[in-house]
Amino acid sequence: MSKRDGVTRRSVLLSAGAAAGVLGIGGSNVLQSLSDDSEINDVERFLQENTVVHGYCSPNCRGHCPLDIHVRDGQIRKVEPAIPDREEFRRACTLGQTHLHRTYNPNRLKYPMKRSDWSPENPNPQGRGPDAEFERIEWSEALDYVAGEMDRIREEYSPESVYFELGSGGSGINGTVYSRLANLFGGTMMSWSIDINVGLGFRRITGAGYFNTPTNMRTDIKNADTILIWGGNVFRSRLNPDARFLLDAIEGGTKIVGIDPVYNQTTAKSDLWLPVKPGKDIHLVMGMIHTVLEEDLEDTEFLRERTLAPALVRTDTGALLKTGDVFPDGDDETPVAYDADAGQAVALEPETYGEYALRGTFEFGGHEVRTALTELEETASDYAPEDIEETIGVDADNVRQAVRWLATRGPGGVMTGLGVDRYVYGHVFGQAYAILLALTGDYGRSGCVTGGRFAGSGYRSDYGAVEGSPGTRRMQQKGILSALQGDADPPLKMMYTQSSNFVANQLPDRQQWIDSLSNLDLVAVADIHHTPTVQHADIVLPASHWTEREDITGAGEHPHAMYREPVHDPLWESKSDHWMIAELADRLGYGEHFERDRTTLLRKILEGEDRFTFEEIREKGTIHLETDEIIFTDEFNTPSGRLEIYDEDAPSEKGVSLELPVPLEDRTADDHELADEYPLLFMQGHSKWRIHSQWAENPMMREINPEPRIDINPQDAKERGIEDGEYVRVYNDRGEMIVKAKYNDAYRPGHVNTDQGWWGEHYIAGHHNNLTHTDVSETIENFAFYDTRVEIEPAPEDLDTSKYDDPTETDWIDQLQHGGDTA
Amino acid sequence: MTNYGMVIDQERCIGCHSCAVACKDENNVSMGQAWNRILTTGGENIDTPAGEYPVDGGDGTLSMQYQPTACQHCENAPCVKVCPVNATYTREDGIVEIDYDKCMGCRYCMAACPYNARVFNYDKPETTAPKGTGNVEQRERGVVEKCTFCSHRLDEGLDPACTIACPSSARIFGDLDDPDSAVSRYVKQYETTQLLEDLETDPNTYYIRGEMSPGRNHLGNEMESELDEPPKRRNAEPGVPATDGGEEQ
Ligand code: SF4
Ligand code: SF4
Ligand code: SF4
Repeated sequence: MSKRDGVTRRSVLLSAGAAAGVLGIGGSNVLQSLSDDSEINDVERFLQENTVVHGYCSPNCRGHCPLDIHVRDGQIRKVEPAIPDREEFRRACTLGQTHLHRTYNPNRLKYPMKRSDWSPENPNPQGRGPDAEFERIEWSEALDYVAGEMDRIREEYSPESVYFELGSGGSGINGTVYSRLANLFGGTMMSWSIDINVGLGFRRITGAGYFNTPTNMRTDIKNADTILIWGGNVFRSRLNPDARFLLDAIEGGTKIVGIDPVYNQTTAKSDLWLPVKPGKDIHLVMGMIHTVLEEDLEDTEFLRERTLAPALVRTDTGALLKTGDVFPDGDDETPVAYDADAGQAVALEPETYGEYALRGTFEFGGHEVRTALTELEETASDYAPEDIEETIGVDADNVRQAVRWLATRGPGGVMTGLGVDRYVYGHVFGQAYAILLALTGDYGRSGCVTGGRFAGSGYRSDYGAVEGSPGTRRMQQKGILSALQGDADPPLKMMYTQSSNFVANQLPDRQQWIDSLSNLDLVAVADIHHTPTVQHADIVLPASHWTEREDITGAGEHPHAMYREPVHDPLWESKSDHWMIAELADRLGYGEHFERDRTTLLRKILEGEDRFTFEEIREKGTIHLETDEIIFTDEFNTPSGRLEIYDEDAPSEKGVSLELPVPLEDRTADDHELADEYPLLFMQGHSKWRIHSQWAENPMMREINPEPRIDINPQDAKERGIEDGEYVRVYNDRGEMIVKAKYNDAYRPGHVNTDQGWWGEHYIAGHHNNLTHTDVSETIENFAFYDTRVEIEPAPEDLDTSKYDDPTETDWIDQLQHGGDTA
Repeated sequence: MTNYGMVIDQERCIGCHSCAVACKDENNVSMGQAWNRILTTGGENIDTPAGEYPVDGGDGTLSMQYQPTACQHCENAPCVKVCPVNATYTREDGIVEIDYDKCMGCRYCMAACPYNARVFNYDKPETTAPKGTGNVEQRERGVVEKCTFCSHRLDEGLDPACTIACPSSARIFGDLDDPDSAVSRYVKQYETTQLLEDLETDPNTYYIRGEMSPGRNHLGNEMESELDEPPKRRNAEPGVPATDGGEEQ
């Protein structure tokens, strides 16, 4: 008899909801939790509905994949990647194809709830957290509480004391409607402190970039001859849903150089892997810049026509020489070059070729000047690949090989992930690689790859803030933390959160955020699932799932506008965020500005769109919108209209002025003060099992990826007496987490990883964000999650790990695949 | 005659598990069971490589690939031979299928299958969705089940669910008896292997390792044989080597 005899399927399924059970949210068996309330919300009432409806997936991977939702007897049976208007953009990753399991998930919020020991008179903030208990209330009661507190706090403090936190957990019109209310009310909203580092550094040179860096449309990848994939396992993240675009390029002969401290499914498909040490990316770019210039591989025509390479820099001030310095009728803006043919100084206009000297020292108007390229060459001269080999951990010949491919094989470039973004000085990397691509002339042509955010489009709309709204106070997330801690005028006194699992899970130094909530009288959270942030709420507002909302969105990274049709009414008592906002608006006296009927609202939002009608998109599901496939074809959006390889308005960091890139490091520095005590660098990669913290509750994913682990090189593990699969304690000066060790030779000794997005209750103890910090650079307030040091030791003996290793609870996990479990 | 087979291009596969997940939903497979598993060829753990990290700064020798593994639809299938009640049989189109009415749950086939492709319903299957998932009836407890090449989809002229789900176009399905089909051409043209060849089970599933193929035409759900104009690939002629591509593909 099999050892499985006696294990009933019921206990196996219960265990699939074990994590939910631990949270104390109940409903670990979905079948039961659905049928409990059959009188109103069982999907039985949709029986006989057999159809395929238009859907799309919309978490913050920015994928926006069009989906076909197959419905039988009123219930979702299957989700498939749909074929959009422009067929080649058919796409969806593993996650998007499991919305059935997100829709009918036991972890769904079912009713409005109130924390049992919260009341407006006595908010009891200390009652929030893992032990908080909730009671079911009516929608009207829940909304009265939220609106009532908004009103009171506006009177007692200021409208700005109400924090409207809009997360990235669901694209569609909800954010638009939400911001409309926040603007009318005059509350506080946040600006991002995440993933803007490299983009803003790149922007200083190119005039473009914010969240990551822009590049040509995906369809153009195949025309690249060499791609340096830098700091991103793109086959696990941004090119997971449509990997074929890059695979087709590889199949057609594109050379791929994987630049990553980690060996992964992307570096595995690369022609060359540069295993750069964590945090040494800027050094490596400088080595590449040096190589281009030393080996005369630069594209001189491009440099003369489209960059500031020939611009003359005053050696006395470091400022660019301006026409006003040289010509009587000049100005103090236009830079100057030396025209070697004419033998004289000339104004350097955008998009203009001339026989400008690219190198050299000259004298004009009594000033000694040198070309920007000469300045760059000198700065880069300290970084010959051979001289930095030790520092960056990459073989010098391989660096030169990568540069030669990039510079000589034809168009190509750098495809960025979001890894380098997550180091304190990641913005200098954006600056540096933008310059590298200027030298190789990789802008504005087919086959150029300038970043990681692929060209796409959205719909046009005039619908937004109501005219005459007071508008919101904006603060970057770092500032929000201070304001939550009471360090702002006016301070924050309540928050109303939509589509966000930030405060209790996704932000660095998580304990600080959780503690800061004690200053708030009300935390109201609207979400689909019972997230850790919901567990810290006073009022819980159950939102409908994406499959239950009529909606529209722009695609962002592919050229479509998309429409989604509800499969059935929202389950249980959940409601669309739009409905909640309109109800709140009524109570606050803004009701006239909010359309109640969803379809009417969608029509209104699309009134400004002249390329298609609402009827068309409703019928087709997706509408292809003509979009430029190639970007950077025109004058750059910079003061000079050229690529500013010398940035005269540069910021400073640590007293270093950054006209030209200079490698800077925080905790990754070998001699950092924490290096001895916490010798391991800790990253938290984006996994293929979640988008941020979404899907963490999805049983389909949890079967394959049941619990958090820490990837560790066996050498590091053995030195610490740690066996593969054993629980370990990961800790530093801020906090700890207990996770299973996973021997993984893909990681360099000294470098460890736990994929981000796991929820607090998924850990035996602690959390990955108990280890991260909120230190940011002087220039850009961007959280540096990976710039973190830890130490690891075997976990304490007396640990309660029954959550995962009770045999009846994890039997189903054993049945599934394990790496190396070959036939 | 038709003889269905599949080519899985491991050079294209990115190990995403979309095919595995789509298989489960399409076929109403119970939680805790899997017909299609994505194995890592590399280290001991999922998503880990074999070899040691190149601390000398070189490109190193680490290696990792993914091996999606489901029923191989063996032409000489050991599972068929051992079934005492002929519940497991080979259809005329090459698909190895199970007649659930006949299956008595002895599990000889599970012992016989060298690919670990079969699962047994020890208890009543359960799914996240209350009425089950996908397009196939749920099997009762007490029977063995496995990949069917989505024969119910083939009846409709559609490719198997895994093949549609793959974002890498790594799965190519079709008729091995038709020399012009993509599967036939790929088997001929690329370096393909069958799993555990020396056992002489002669699987109808082939794996490409070495040179990457152009993959499946992903613009529709139809089987290639159902298309009015079968996709023209750069290697439209059997035996003609792949060129460096270009617009015309
Ligand atoms: S999660 Fe996957 S399917 Fe969903 S939008 Fe992102 S890439 Fe597409
Ligand atoms: S793989 Fe296993 S189950 Fe499938 S035909 Fe071969 S022996 Fe039978
Ligand atoms: S869906 Fe395709 S790429 Fe993903 S694991 Fe399956 S075969 Fe590989």
